[in-house]
Amino acid sequence: MPTHDNDREHLLEHNYDGIQEYDNPLPRWWVWVFWASIVFALVYSLDPWHVLRGPGRIADYNASVAAAARLHPAPSGGADAAALAALGHNPQALAAGKQTFVTTCAPCHRPDGGGLIGPNLTDDYWLHGGTLVDVHKTITDGVLDKGMPNWGKFLKPEQIDDVAVYVYYGLHGTNPPNPKAPQGVKVDRSE
Amino acid sequence: MTLSEGAADARGGGAARAASAPPASSVALESFSYDDDIVRKFMVATFVWGLVGMLVGLIVALQLVLPSLDFAPWFSFGRLRPLHTNAVIFAFAGNAFFTGAYYSTQRLCKTRMFSDRMSRFHFWGWQAIIVAAAITLPMGFTQAKEYAELEWPIDIAIAIVWVVFAVNFFGTLKRRRERHLYVAIWFYIASIVTVAILHIFNNLSVPAGWFKSYPIYAGVQDAFMQWWYGHNAVAFFLTTPFLGLMYYFMPKAAERPVYSYKLSILHFWSLVFIYIWAGPHHLHYTALPEWASTLGMVFSVMLWMPSWGGMINGLLTLRGAWNKVVEDPVLKFFVVAVTAYGMSTFEGPMLSVKTVNALAHYSDWIIAHVHTGTLGWNGFMTFGMIYWLLPRLFQTKLYSKKLAEWHFWIGSFGILLYVVAVYSAGVTEGLMWRAFDSTGRLAYPDWIETVVKVIPMWWMRAVGGTLYIIGMFMFGWNILMTWRHRPAVYDVPVIQAPPLPKQYVEAPHGTRPATAFGRFVDLGWHRVWEGRWLLFTVMTIVAVAVASLFEIIPTFLIRENVPTISSVKPYTPLELAGRDLYIREGCFNCHSQMIRPFRWETERFGEYSKPGEFVYDHPFLWGSRRIGPDLAREGGKYPDLWHVRHMQDPRSITPKSIMPAYPFLLTNDLDFASIQHKVDAMAMLGVPYGQAVVAGNAPKMAMTQAAAIADTIAQQGGPRNLQHKEIVALIAYLQRLGWDATHVSAPAPVGGTP
Repeated sequence: MPTHDNDREHLLEHNYDGIQEYDNPLPRWWVWVFWASIVFALVYSLDPWHVLRGPGRIADYNASVAAAARLHPAPSGGADAAALAALGHNPQALAAGKQTFVTTCAPCHRPDGGGLIGPNLTDDYWLHGGTLVDVHKTITDGVLDKGMPNWGKFLKPEQIDDVAVYVYYGLHGTNPPNPKAPQGVKVDRSE
Repeated sequence: MTLSEGAADARGGGAARAASAPPASSVALESFSYDDDIVRKFMVATFVWGLVGMLVGLIVALQLVLPSLDFAPWFSFGRLRPLHTNAVIFAFAGNAFFTGAYYSTQRLCKTRMFSDRMSRFHFWGWQAIIVAAAITLPMGFTQAKEYAELEWPIDIAIAIVWVVFAVNFFGTLKRRRERHLYVAIWFYIASIVTVAILHIFNNLSVPAGWFKSYPIYAGVQDAFMQWWYGHNAVAFFLTTPFLGLMYYFMPKAAERPVYSYKLSILHFWSLVFIYIWAGPHHLHYTALPEWASTLGMVFSVMLWMPSWGGMINGLLTLRGAWNKVVEDPVLKFFVVAVTAYGMSTFEGPMLSVKTVNALAHYSDWIIAHVHTGTLGWNGFMTFGMIYWLLPRLFQTKLYSKKLAEWHFWIGSFGILLYVVAVYSAGVTEGLMWRAFDSTGRLAYPDWIETVVKVIPMWWMRAVGGTLYIIGMFMFGWNILMTWRHRPAVYDVPVIQAPPLPKQYVEAPHGTRPATAFGRFVDLGWHRVWEGRWLLFTVMTIVAVAVASLFEIIPTFLIRENVPTISSVKPYTPLELAGRDLYIREGCFNCHSQMIRPFRWETERFGEYSKPGEFVYDHPFLWGSRRIGPDLAREGGKYPDLWHVRHMQDPRSITPKSIMPAYPFLLTNDLDFASIQHKVDAMAMLGVPYGQAVVAGNAPKMAMTQAAAIADTIAQQGGPRNLQHKEIVALIAYLQRLGWDATHVSAPAPVGGTP
């Protein structure tokens, strides 16, 4: 039998297999929080001025896209050919480009650039233009129909620059073993 | 033979009640005994399946960190993960519920079960279903709906066994010798009727073979029905049954009265009524209509206090018995169980708030949330209950109280390690997925970065899970050794009680309040319900059904919920076959197909998903967890050859990938003959398949498309002659994903639409 609260608690005359029940009232805080949650539910669902719910998930999304476009306007024009060409003489840029190439491009173009799922990048044949600026553009925008992702969205601008010069200067003419057959048109380099 | 405390208690208690029964001046006492043999059977099954289910859980946890463990088609993550969830929910928790329900219902109703044969049929039928699940899931037979994976023949068996259980249970209520139904019985009633409703309506499907079917719902509606079911499977399979067990076994073990009868009434009805609305919180920011999402959220918030009502009633029942908790492992298990229940039922409403959900959805946070509930609440409730039952069922002392104490501590520590690790992983994933750098680009554009980051936490999870399983072995040893000390013949006490009089009018208690409101809050009417099992059951069904229909009917009838997209066409026969391979391999366990309207998702995966894109998706495959990236816009993202190589060995494309390898797709022949059945079943569901339904056309169309894909692969420099292999069907499907809605003017890729 209870040894405390004896004056306030009273046992009901219920007995189920020896289990008894107190006639205790509902805890007051429990009742208030329950009511509060019900009020919240009503206010949130009705919310005629969209104070709590906002304008809706699609409107919210469109606003976030517009805000991002204002904050980070898309770069205009292509890459600066002269600046890129200069980068080609920078060993650090070539090393950084090689690193990006091995982690990001190698799955499709092979670590040595000999081509696998994507084309061979070491020969003179190009599918989407063979100048340094073309290569830069192909990497940035991708060739979505053929499964080349638009890396401009994922890699930082410096990374794109580095990997473009690595492909153009670092890989060209390396003649790896078992290369993929040439694809595209022959582009002569006359530097 | 020495009788244990428990047996003495059962016998003495029975005698005492017979003596304290209303003066039986004219009514003869009836003699009867309880069927404890069935309780022993279910108890052993609980342990055995619990161990199996948890070991499979440990295997899938290890497969995430060691993908080389996915060494066979039937042993890969995608097929074993549903086996883990089904085993622990339906086999472990299910048998635990039956154990406690068969023990307590007989005693609370002062009668033997309605039919011993039905009890046995229920037991053996349920175990047979579990065995069928354990065989068919690794074979890849699945409906692809979470916790409803089992294919239609097994679903029918479940329905039959469940109905037999229900008849047996309600027959027992009808034959009871205790006028009023105790709160534990209310919870059993709610569980039994609601599980039946959920199971039947979520599994309505059209068969396309013996172990293949398509649900009658598609896309948005299928998703809605699935999570109406999925959420309420948690509610009515893992929550209400265990609340019923708590209400019986906790006051029994503590030898204390239940804290508040009023609270029992209020939290029972509010829980049953509100729970059923909350399902759409699993689909926030998906293509589900926003109003449904909002309803799911606000009802989840309102569910907080009804859930806590159970926790309060449990914990406050222990007032004056806390000194016993120190000494008694049974009460220790109960205290942690009820506390875990309280934590996860606070967390649930919190996760259902849309902005919180935006961070947590698809991440490990949900896995951690679930395991607080299952390891803590369901597991520990079960362990406490069985430790209390062991001396009573085997009529001897518990073999080792000390070992039970160790089980408690090692299990608790295991839970702690598990959830801390997985919570950390979940929040890490959620934050990395949404992070942008200062240039407005994704900070972690490479998906694998976010996976590699949490692998140490996944290791820690495996350690926590191992500790919990070590506790299971201690548990099993204690069961075995207690059983070995059982008497040669079990004592079967004879109980005596008077039958219930046929005519009954509820005696008024106290003074009758003058106003209607006064009478309502006085709850005298509820006492009347408690005396009438059928009325009580009907009211429960009404509560559940009304709430369900309020959401289901508008979801199906309002056309604006799913605006049509005219460019969305049915899958070609080959793509349909590929989709079934995607289902067979359980790809949906790790890959979602639902891009939410957040910039961090559209930047990573492409345009957000629209409701109209899924009108031919029987079943929907939106997924609930992203271990790998979303695939909703996978179509055309990579060349066919990329997929060939990626399936053959994912690590040749992404060195740190944890995806299982599927080299057998390149060698298995595609079953072209069955494609006609698939197309016909789809056509029956209203998918406009046109000429493809003409007998023999579907396989022909599939072969044409397969040959074109095989050519492309060969041209790209890949392996030749794949046109008869499963891989081409899977590639056809993957290349179609998300294509139609974003290529409004362009025809679908290779093969076209039928």
